[in-house]
Amino acid sequence: MLAMTATLLGTSALAQDIPQADSDWFTAAQERLQTQLDAQPNTNTAKNVIVLVSDGNGVGTNYASRLWAGQQEGGLGDDYNQPHDLFPNLALVKTYNVNAQTPDSAGTGTAMMSGIKTKAGIIGVTEDVNRGDCSTLPGNTVASLNEIMTEMGKETGIVSTARITHATPASAYAKTADRNFEASVPEGCTEQADIATQLIEAMRSGVIDLAIGGGMRNFHADDGGRREDGVNLIEIAQTELGAHFAMDQASFEAAPLDGTPILGLFENSHMMYEADRTDEPSLAEMTAAAITALEAKSGDNGFFLQIEAGRVDHANHAGNLARVVQDQKAFADAVAMADELTDDEETLIVVTADHEHAIAFNGYCGRGSNILGLCMGINGDGVEHTGEAELASDGKPFTVAGYLNGAGSVLIEQPDGSYFGTRPNVTEEEATDIDYPQQALVPKSSETHSGEDVAVYAKGPWAHLFNGTIEQNLIFHVMHHAATAE
Amino acid sequence: MRRRQFLTLAPALIAAPVVLRAQDDTLKLRELYEGRDFSPLARDLEGTTIDVDGYMAPPLQADSSFFVLTKIPMSVCPFCETEAEWPDDIVAIYTRRKFDTVPFNRKIVVTGALALGSYRDPDTGFLSMVRLENARLRFG
Repeated sequence: MLAMTATLLGTSALAQDIPQADSDWFTAAQERLQTQLDAQPNTNTAKNVIVLVSDGNGVGTNYASRLWAGQQEGGLGDDYNQPHDLFPNLALVKTYNVNAQTPDSAGTGTAMMSGIKTKAGIIGVTEDVNRGDCSTLPGNTVASLNEIMTEMGKETGIVSTARITHATPASAYAKTADRNFEASVPEGCTEQADIATQLIEAMRSGVIDLAIGGGMRNFHADDGGRREDGVNLIEIAQTELGAHFAMDQASFEAAPLDGTPILGLFENSHMMYEADRTDEPSLAEMTAAAITALEAKSGDNGFFLQIEAGRVDHANHAGNLARVVQDQKAFADAVAMADELTDDEETLIVVTADHEHAIAFNGYCGRGSNILGLCMGINGDGVEHTGEAELASDGKPFTVAGYLNGAGSVLIEQPDGSYFGTRPNVTEEEATDIDYPQQALVPKSSETHSGEDVAVYAKGPWAHLFNGTIEQNLIFHVMHHAATAE
Repeated sequence: MRRRQFLTLAPALIAAPVVLRAQDDTLKLRELYEGRDFSPLARDLEGTTIDVDGYMAPPLQADSSFFVLTKIPMSVCPFCETEAEWPDDIVAIYTRRKFDTVPFNRKIVVTGALALGSYRDPDTGFLSMVRLENARLRFG
């Protein structure tokens, strides 16, 4: 067995007589090593570039999602791999904004899409813009990769489960002094249009060929609409731009994927969480439609597509890990779809997150502990956990995952305005309920982002440039280089 | 902001409950919905008095007998949103008498008569599809 393995893999370690060489762990690592030795950098020009952003899916959130997906398939979870976990190239990403140790999606979206870091809360503009002050905007706007790719003759699209005017998708087309100017701008702000109007104008100019996401309310003034100017941007898209409009599963499935512009606006606000989704397409379905439509229109010129799982972030904000992992699984399915529909020889796929959250993990848990549930003991006589919950010093069990702050705080507001509390004696059934907010420490209405690193995973042309610990704005530069390399 | 507090049955100190689990006859809020529609269970129980657990969203109006029950604590991210994003599956609660605010992240159980159908609150304009009327509440 040893000799055979040595012959097969031919590494120097196996030329020696190593007693553990027939271990499954040993041979699997040898196979991975050989894959690494065989890897050749792909220096083709990227005809297509797809960047998939899972909003709020830092390394910790991604870990939780990996274990959940693996446990859903009946495994212990740790050894499972999401599609991007297996991508050959990876870097850690520093996500801070120019003025924020803890970043927001506006600053991070601008970094990824325009190649510069900027302040929190502003999109498509430099750090010389002051948030909320339109007068600082002239002369300080930057070009997005969508605009640059369009000038190169490529088609571009955006897909998101958040409002399509939310920070990450907006970073593909908008220049705004405030991310909240989604449907209107303040009185006296004449230097920019609202973000929804900017999207329709980007579609009119050909910068955006396809936009599918949530947030219908920002595009009309009818019942439930938010437009103070009374303009119906959906009608404009249909009548003046010839766009197909989708608002539910049926109208999504009826969309022509022949290059006709597509405007998909599901829900008044964000699309539903994956756990609650009904009469809306999945992120993987939207990804497939977007790739098919952009390929049809772009032909040999290729396309650039941004896809966002926007609600991983929202479920984290709610401290509701059960919905986090389900939306992240939907994201992983979209990654798999993008990979399946494209060729590594000509398509760069970049998978990343814009920022992490204040999620953290307890120990010491035995393998197979439900990632949503209680931390079970390590079994010294076997592999899977003991089935007995570990107890903290207060004598109560605790979940594997928790949050440093948020609605799940064990400190409860008292009648006199002070905060006091003890940890609830949570059961496995309660902790794994879909609506359970994980225990947290610092009381806050909404759990927060954190400044912790995220990862960027990549495959395809020039993906090997993602290596080491990088500034987030480098992501733009690698994508641009891949698309322009001779 | 310091809210005026609390239920008449409030203990001296409010801690997260030792056992959060609802009693067997207490419904989870999500059981009243099926997608965007009422669940068959909700239709069966219409007009009857039921127990539902959830969380009190920060009331829209002070000194009121109306609040919104949510299935998870109603959190608002000031960096991400300019306003509260109401989920689809909520229950409007109309209490027998004025109530004191319960912290938004403290589990409660509401007992009341189940009413279904569109109704716009005359004072707040809040549109609800599911309500518990003549309701009273206790800690979960």
